[in-house]
Amino acid sequence: MFADRQPRSFLDTGALSRLAAVPLCARRPMQGNVSGRHTSPHRGASVEFAEYRKYVPGDDLRRLDWRAYGRSDRFYVKEFEADTNLRLCVVLDTSGSMEFGSTGVTKIEYARKLAGSLAYLASQQGDAVGLSCVANGIVRNIPPKRGPAHLMNVFDILEQTQPSGETQLVPVLHELAETIRQRALIVILSDFFVEPELLRGCLQHLRFRKHDVSMLQLLDPLELNFNFRRPMRFIDMEGGPAIFAEPNEIADRYQRALQKYADELLAVVLESAVDFHPVTLDESFEQVLMRFLVGRTRTKGVR
Amino acid sequence: MSFLQPLLLAALPLIALPILIHLINQRRFQTIRWGAMMFLLTANRMSRGYAKLRQWLILLFRTLAIAGLIVGVARPLASGWLGLTAGGRPDTTIILLDRSPSMRQQGEGQVGTKLDTGRHQLARSLSLLGSAKWVLIESTTNTPREIESPDVLLNLPATEPASSSADLPAMLQAARDYIQANKSGRTEVWICSDIRANDWSAESGRWATLRDAFLELTQSVRFHLLAYPQAASGNMSLRVTNVRRQQGSDGAELLVSLKLTREDGGQTSPTRQRGVDSTDDPSLALRASVPISFEIEGARSEVTVEMSGAQFELKDHRIPIERQKDRGWGKVSIPADANSADNDFYFVFDQPAVRQTIIVADDANAARPLQLSAAISPDPALKLAAEVLTADQLSTVEWDQVSLVLWQAPLPDGPAADAIQAFVDRGGQIVFFPTQGLTSTVFVGVSWQSWIESPDGITIETWRGDQDLLAHTQSGAALPVGQLQVRKHCGLTGEHIPLATLKGGTPLLARVTTNRGGVYFCTTTPAMSDSSLAENGVVLYVLVQRALALGAAVLGNTRQLVSGDVSGEQPTAWQQVAGPPEALSTEFAFHGGVYSAGERLLALNRGSAEDQAAVLADGRVAELFQGLDFARVDDKAGNLAALIQEIWRLFLVAMIIALIVEAALCLPKNVTQVVSA
Repeated sequence: MFADRQPRSFLDTGALSRLAAVPLCARRPMQGNVSGRHTSPHRGASVEFAEYRKYVPGDDLRRLDWRAYGRSDRFYVKEFEADTNLRLCVVLDTSGSMEFGSTGVTKIEYARKLAGSLAYLASQQGDAVGLSCVANGIVRNIPPKRGPAHLMNVFDILEQTQPSGETQLVPVLHELAETIRQRALIVILSDFFVEPELLRGCLQHLRFRKHDVSMLQLLDPLELNFNFRRPMRFIDMEGGPAIFAEPNEIADRYQRALQKYADELLAVVLESAVDFHPVTLDESFEQVLMRFLVGRTRTKGVR
Repeated sequence: MSFLQPLLLAALPLIALPILIHLINQRRFQTIRWGAMMFLLTANRMSRGYAKLRQWLILLFRTLAIAGLIVGVARPLASGWLGLTAGGRPDTTIILLDRSPSMRQQGEGQVGTKLDTGRHQLARSLSLLGSAKWVLIESTTNTPREIESPDVLLNLPATEPASSSADLPAMLQAARDYIQANKSGRTEVWICSDIRANDWSAESGRWATLRDAFLELTQSVRFHLLAYPQAASGNMSLRVTNVRRQQGSDGAELLVSLKLTREDGGQTSPTRQRGVDSTDDPSLALRASVPISFEIEGARSEVTVEMSGAQFELKDHRIPIERQKDRGWGKVSIPADANSADNDFYFVFDQPAVRQTIIVADDANAARPLQLSAAISPDPALKLAAEVLTADQLSTVEWDQVSLVLWQAPLPDGPAADAIQAFVDRGGQIVFFPTQGLTSTVFVGVSWQSWIESPDGITIETWRGDQDLLAHTQSGAALPVGQLQVRKHCGLTGEHIPLATLKGGTPLLARVTTNRGGVYFCTTTPAMSDSSLAENGVVLYVLVQRALALGAAVLGNTRQLVSGDVSGEQPTAWQQVAGPPEALSTEFAFHGGVYSAGERLLALNRGSAEDQAAVLADGRVAELFQGLDFARVDDKAGNLAALIQEIWRLFLVAMIIALIVEAALCLPKNVTQVVSA
């Protein structure tokens, strides 16, 4: 596959082959261009019977159910579920804070792995893959398309993208909700350092547009534990003012603030029916993805 | 709070160390590029309340821990009484130990005596405080002696109870002399005493001198008084007032007179101080039967007396003795009570010796009345002899047997003066009368002046009726000194104490201060032409007989002595006949008992002042040390609790507690993971 290229640093072929066993499913009917393995809101030509419908003029006579006619002397058209492909839109936060990482891997690197793997898996099952890199606006955006060439483009962008600027996730998500065609699977990879209340609006906007939204929140263990020993000067990666703090003194309040944020965020995602996955950077990305994929198989197929 | 190692307190600024470290730590910050600023900003906006307080508390407890360590290492002492006085190790510690009999008083319900308790307390406290040099001045000898350590106080014979009274001013003087002579550096003077008024002689003029002397010293001197002022409630003291041997037709007997005195604790002493006789008040009269046991050379007898009130006198209690027993010793005792030192009294008895008087006279007229007054015995049992000599015949006199010399001749000089001086030093009494041929000879600093004639006769204006030769009689009646007429008298030069003064201020009878013995000058003669001394013979007779008795007292084969005051005797040659077995031969002079010195028997007892329980008031004691660095603590006999205790453990415990609290405050709280399911 990568015969003429250097292997991508964010792709782990072993992990991908293991993950390929689990399909990437959508929790809602998807609207694709071609036939695929995902449920569609429309009737189609799959083997799965959906319903009988009265014949109306113009219907293809080939789809009349003659047996039903024989039994009831009425014309029924037998309809089957349509299977379609999905459009996977990966929204990658490339704001400055994504550069943080205390365990040897930064959030952006971790996010690349997740995004790359998801894109590959989706592409492998024939789905269209798009990518939006967002920071204080949409930095790079390629709409979902199928095909290995397109996947290469996605990988290229993933590889080239660098975190910078402050997070303007809320307006960006609103924009994406409007620009991405309805019924797509939107996976947002970010640390979500935004007020949860502000997120609520854009998540509901996405939901209104019948997108299946998944949130993978990337947090560094150091951000969670805040176990500093010495007085620290914290420089904002997104260009804000620096803060000097005595960790012993501030740790309590930091934890309280963190906990409050986590509670509020959880409430928001539950209300917005978002598939939410908190991820810490010390976890194996393969396990995170496995959990993500398996979790989705349980809820798939709702029309 | 005082410290054994106060220099270590100089390290107290180290308590600022945690604050310094905190400040340094503040400056050694690290810089990190941080993503989750929103939480930091939120945290910064939150109330700092407890977190800030916790930081301060941690800093406080760290500071306290260091302070506890430093104070603990400085070895603090818990003592209310050292006050702020002790501090650092003194160069010299002088211990003044009052060994007087009153220090043998026991505390109520306690076994230890004041002296024992004081010694233990001193040994314990002083061992703790430490000193480069230890000096003991005990109340019998008043001489400084160096000791190895305060523990020696517990087993040194010189710290055992004695019968002699203490003389605190003399002890302090000895201490002062020692400090000056030895350049003792920083000195602490510890006085262990029961502050009895008789031991302290607070009215003595020596105190003012002592204060000044101590103030003049260049080195710092601190005084600590370990006082045991508690009165012994119900303590009885016994004193034999008179012992006579009487030869009757059917045998010999001893007539013993004694006096019992009871201290009634806090009840009667205030009334006594107000001059009210406690026995007048029946509610205060305490009836008690006291068994008094007599021991005459080992033979015991007992008599029980009923005692009510504070005092009881037994007059002439008869104890039959062997007819042949001319002299011997005895002991009277009462049962043990609060103070065992005043329950025994020793006495000796003897056939009265012949009281011999030498009259050296130029004038027979004057010599005759003198001879008569010296030769007529007031008591049939007493044998008196008076011999008239001239000055030339003095060499033939056996001075050992002479009690009194009546000298009416030019004042002695040369060998005669030496002989008289030796006689006086031995305790003899001499009365000089003027003679017609006055010379300018000086004896003991005094010489006669010219004769003054007053034909109309001068009467005597004042005389000492309280003591000495012209004192009132035992019944309290005054001698008829005022009736005397002096027609001719002689002036005196030199230092003397007038006992009787004529109108006009010339002394009639004067005493010269001597170490022992008595030297009197009578400025007139008994001759009819000079005075009415012979006509009105009572004064002359009493005067001569009293002088004779005084002179005989040192001559007899027996002698009653007051412990500690044994001048003229050789205590080193004494053998103990009766008395406390623990008394060392070198200390016989300070222990009550009966001792034999060759042929003579000596009875040693405590001084009469010891029976008076007056204690100096606190304010008075403070006055005595006014201007000096003085601290006092009152202890109780039998007290087992140490006066001072090291409390470094307390501070170490405080330090540990401070560290534990600090650690508890530093413990990180359980970090609640934000990651929710």
